[in-house]
Amino acid sequence: MVEVIYGEQYLSYDLGPHHPFSPLRLQMLVELLRELDPGFSPSPPVQASREEILRVHAERYVRRVEAASRGERPADLAEYGLGTSDTPVFAKMDDAARWLAGGSLTAARALTSGRARRVLQLGGGLHHAQFDRASGFCVYNDLALAIRHFLDEGLRVLYVDVDVHHGDGVQWLFYDEPRVLTLSLHESGRYLFPGSGGVYEIGQGSGTGYSWNWPLEPFTGDAVYLQGFQTLLEKALEWFRPDVILVQPGADAHFQDPLADLLLTTRAYRRVFELLLAGAAEYTGGRIVFTLGGGYSFDATVRVWTILYHLLSEKPLPAGLPAGWRERWQARLGSELSAGLCDAASPPPVERQAEIERYDLGGVERLLQTVAKYLSG
Amino acid sequence: MLVRDVMHYPVITIEAGATLREANDLMWEQGVRHLPVLEAGRLVGILTDRDLRLATSELSPMPYKPESRVEEVMTTPVLTADPLDPVEEAARVMRDRKVGCLPVVEGRELVGIITGIDLLDALVAMTGARLPSGRIEVRLPDQPGQLARLTQFFAERGVNIHSLLTYPDVNCCVRNVLRVDTLETRRLADELRREGFEVLWPPEKPWSK
Repeated sequence: MVEVIYGEQYLSYDLGPHHPFSPLRLQMLVELLRELDPGFSPSPPVQASREEILRVHAERYVRRVEAASRGERPADLAEYGLGTSDTPVFAKMDDAARWLAGGSLTAARALTSGRARRVLQLGGGLHHAQFDRASGFCVYNDLALAIRHFLDEGLRVLYVDVDVHHGDGVQWLFYDEPRVLTLSLHESGRYLFPGSGGVYEIGQGSGTGYSWNWPLEPFTGDAVYLQGFQTLLEKALEWFRPDVILVQPGADAHFQDPLADLLLTTRAYRRVFELLLAGAAEYTGGRIVFTLGGGYSFDATVRVWTILYHLLSEKPLPAGLPAGWRERWQARLGSELSAGLCDAASPPPVERQAEIERYDLGGVERLLQTVAKYLSG
Repeated sequence: MLVRDVMHYPVITIEAGATLREANDLMWEQGVRHLPVLEAGRLVGILTDRDLRLATSELSPMPYKPESRVEEVMTTPVLTADPLDPVEEAARVMRDRKVGCLPVVEGRELVGIITGIDLLDALVAMTGARLPSGRIEVRLPDQPGQLARLTQFFAERGVNIHSLLTYPDVNCCVRNVLRVDTLETRRLADELRREGFEVLWPPEKPWSK
């Protein structure tokens, strides 16, 4: 069984009507899960306190977020990544961000208290937020807060970042920490935000070897992705032997995503989730926490996370989506939604397939060769 | 970007009368490959780790001994840079003359050193992602006002340009690689295309809804 954490307060994390990180995605998802599963009954989150936020963020940064939330506009906001086109300020921003952060912390606590082994936090995954800087739609780093809690409890954490963008915020916050292995799979920073996440970013100090990055060529598809993912996950589990796995399952590597260029289908996502669950069963006694993350095609994102929910709760995947839900949201969004849960279509084949494969799989080899001496001994 | 912006100082140096063993020890202790050689406070030559290794190699027809003096092995006269030289000028000299460093002198005083690594740092600073940012690549006609039109586009949308690299391309065009402070490079690319710009990255995806 899976413990689900969700609160209506999450919907208040709203960066504006035309912003891609829209709370509508979450509203659609929760309504769909309620219709598909009459037993859907999430537990409420506990909002993170200011002190808890300060475990992972600079006080001077938190002060700026608080001031902006009150409608003040300190002159140096932009230096803290706030008030930009990606991360505009909004009323009660601090409050909303602390709800998401608190939700991920609640999820981590549900696990360490022994109440649950599998937890799904239906929110958060704000992996770009840095120690003293908002970035890429992210204000407070809820994932880092959860990791901090696991470390406090003496657990070693494997962090897996499936989002199509590099999980830079989480990586930098634990860059010298050997009790956290971060594994991020993403479209190459040569082409996509935030620009970091090369294979040779492997950590520093005693954390050297504990930051893993697999940058992918644009237009990488299911087969190469799954081949590399399986290899990397196996090695990470075998060499690092974590006590718990934390996953940011961003749905923006899907081929319908409007912001990025990878070509995954729901089949690849399903397999990725299954591999993670199997890995947890074998290495962490089943202990695994999922948050949400990026994903800007409403249609694809909601379906990917609905698949995740069903796998976590060990329910068969429904073939079709409820007609009522679909009609309601089609009318609201003004765009067509898929009738089935899994992709009916695939992206068309791309040119350069051999070159993409060579580049991507070369990255896996280079990464493992580089980090091996720090971990496998 | 000037030499003084990327050079290193203070400089690890050695006296002309020191032994090769002392020079070798100094390079190992300090983790450097280049030792400017001084005599009475004046720069008289340069000794590199390669000079040292070749001079003392058993494979050499007449190997120098560890007790040999630095001035016997050093290269002289030495190519130098001025702190006010542009970095690209220093890079050109190093490339043309195939040397790994230039001591930086102001008048007669040694004030710094610039090496190949410093030039790589400069390249990374010019092309890399120092801050989280997205990448947009646009080809512009090589004509007055084209770049202004492009930057105006970003200014109007409140998007900050972290870095901009331009270089010549085929057919009298200029390629411009911008790093901008947003994740939404695709939306910007679509708008740029609508305004008639030739966007090379990100490309259009025909299958996207």
